[in-house]
Amino acid sequence: MTGSVTTAPASADAELLELHRRGRLAADYPRVRALVHDLTGLELARAGQLLSRVSADEIAAAHPGTTAVTVAITGHSTVTGLVAPLTAELARYGWPLRPYVADFDGYVFELSDPGSGLYRAGAALTVCLLDPTIVFDEVPTPWQPDDVESVLAGKLALLERLVAAFERQSAGTLVLNTMPLPRLYTAQIVDYRSRARLGRIWRAANIALLELAERHPALTVVDLDPLVAEGVAARDPRLAVYTKSQLSPDLLAAYARELGHLVRATRGRTKKCLVLDLDNTVWGGIVGDDGIDGIEVAETYRGEAFRAIQKAAKQLGHQGVLIAAVSKNEPETVRRVLAEHPEMTLREQDFVRVIANWGPKHDNIAALAQDLNLGLDSFVFVDDSPYERALVGRELPDVTVVPLRTDPATYLPCILADGWFDARALTDEDRQRSAMYRGDLARREIRANFSSIDDYLADLAIVVELAPVAPGQYERLSQTTLRTNQFNLTTERLQPADIQTRAEDPAHLVLAVRSRDRFGDNGLVGAVLARREDDRLVIDNMLLSCRVFSRGIEESCLSALLGHAVTTGMNEVTASFRPTAKNGKVRAFLPDNGFTVAAESPEATVYRHDLAVIADVPPYIDLHASFERVAP
Amino acid sequence: MTSIEQFLSLIHTEVGLELAVEDIDRGFDQVAGWDSLHLLTLITALEETTGQQISMPDVLQATKLADIYGLAAIS
Repeated sequence: MTGSVTTAPASADAELLELHRRGRLAADYPRVRALVHDLTGLELARAGQLLSRVSADEIAAAHPGTTAVTVAITGHSTVTGLVAPLTAELARYGWPLRPYVADFDGYVFELSDPGSGLYRAGAALTVCLLDPTIVFDEVPTPWQPDDVESVLAGKLALLERLVAAFERQSAGTLVLNTMPLPRLYTAQIVDYRSRARLGRIWRAANIALLELAERHPALTVVDLDPLVAEGVAARDPRLAVYTKSQLSPDLLAAYARELGHLVRATRGRTKKCLVLDLDNTVWGGIVGDDGIDGIEVAETYRGEAFRAIQKAAKQLGHQGVLIAAVSKNEPETVRRVLAEHPEMTLREQDFVRVIANWGPKHDNIAALAQDLNLGLDSFVFVDDSPYERALVGRELPDVTVVPLRTDPATYLPCILADGWFDARALTDEDRQRSAMYRGDLARREIRANFSSIDDYLADLAIVVELAPVAPGQYERLSQTTLRTNQFNLTTERLQPADIQTRAEDPAHLVLAVRSRDRFGDNGLVGAVLARREDDRLVIDNMLLSCRVFSRGIEESCLSALLGHAVTTGMNEVTASFRPTAKNGKVRAFLPDNGFTVAAESPEATVYRHDLAVIADVPPYIDLHASFERVAP
Repeated sequence: MTSIEQFLSLIHTEVGLELAVEDIDRGFDQVAGWDSLHLLTLITALEETTGQQISMPDVLQATKLADIYGLAAIS
């Protein structure tokens, strides 16, 4: 055999190992992302080990566009075991992990001391890992359920104080988890009555933990019970005894996956649209061959699997996820299934759009993205055909393609496995989103019938309200900063607590933009964030939902804000544009509206408006602007 | 586990550290990049490779990689 034969690595796992052997993990990080994306179990665990040896700085040096995620990890027992799986999970989204790991049992000190290393790390996410020994290390020997109850009461009070301290010190998110109760402890209580009491006491404490998150906006509590219910052992006896790692590597891996979803949500990378194939994905069988009466959607063995998928799609749709169908079929046949099949759960109105034709699916998805004005990275594609999945994955690498196994009963767990649509909180707008987007598509069709864009906009009868944010809108306004990527001057993400802080500061203007037109209410569609600095008004950010821009709403709001600056005695208004991969659309917004360049750097361009000439509100917009806060 | 080379290769692929033969007789504190957490990864990998359970307390008491190689080779 000659020495220079190079064989292609057989799998993602093998290729990753090869990159590691050649010391290329940092240099080839974008490739690493693709390789780890669909790894699971032991392979993903190993990837985490290898990747956790590569520093975030090294990756950033090789790829200046990557944004590392700083995560602080603390707890009562050994918590280092979370670093590798979290590294792997974040790598799946292309984000290097910059971990801060607190000292053993350091959580009380680190969370209560404002000067602690944990706070200095400035983490976006702080994870305080809770495990059963936080309680059982303190009960006497022998112990009774009452002892557990009193230790738990003390710990809950302590945790609430630590959460409050965290909220004072950090602008980030704190994550706690519910504590599994291993049989190791319940089995040490021999009478059934007391054992049941222990179970009740333990669950009451977990409920109290979950309730903490309702009182503290910066806190998220991840419930580990559903992960354990999937068959993940909570504890590994050897690791627990010998290394004080109280939660098993498998549970930490499952938890790390949930944390990855949370990071995605806090970074505004929640997916927005679920694209479903129809034949053998939404119903069993091929409607073109089997006929409308021949497909399986309920009652039969396979039918139940598809009914479960339909019900889940409807469930997601009611929480703001846009559901679309892209199917190689005759449109009339599909229309009849959705309208007439008596056992279908999904109907036409559950979809933002049903695309049935014989064109390539990637073309259909790309056109849908354009019509909905969404980036391709907002789409999740589900199809039973490996051929279609591979083709969409190749042609549209930004679209998330869900890997399915072969049995239809396993499709739904696969679709839900990665929490693609997980969000910090839902708002009324989320629940209306599908209807709003259907309205958008209707507007688009009407638009084709008008000779000029101004005629069309006048016909829409757009009403815009610009007003200080009300306390009930903090969550929604925060979400606007998290979800809006295109019309977003600075892409500064704000959590609800940040919005509240600014809204309560008299120097700040935090304005919500609402709009409606003859097709309906668009709800809260944007935000204007500004602050007074002496005789200058600084626009911190302006954002507008991609559903409504280019209709004069943004110009109206800016015009009103500049007018407000004049009436309150300001001499100038400044604003910045920070380019990202997605906000190129607003690059010209400030210069087009009378701003001139004041300073320029690769990271940002600072603009200034001298308030001499302010453009009028477009004639077809009915603007209602107010800047006075209503006293609470 | 048949050879030191295989042992080092396992450390490289599982733990991510590339070590030389002479490193295995150095104390852990003398091995660049070594972290006690790696012991756990190494134990799991060794147990999978050899199909035998290795005594975790013995591994945790080891002061150098040669000790662990000895434990894995005996088991």
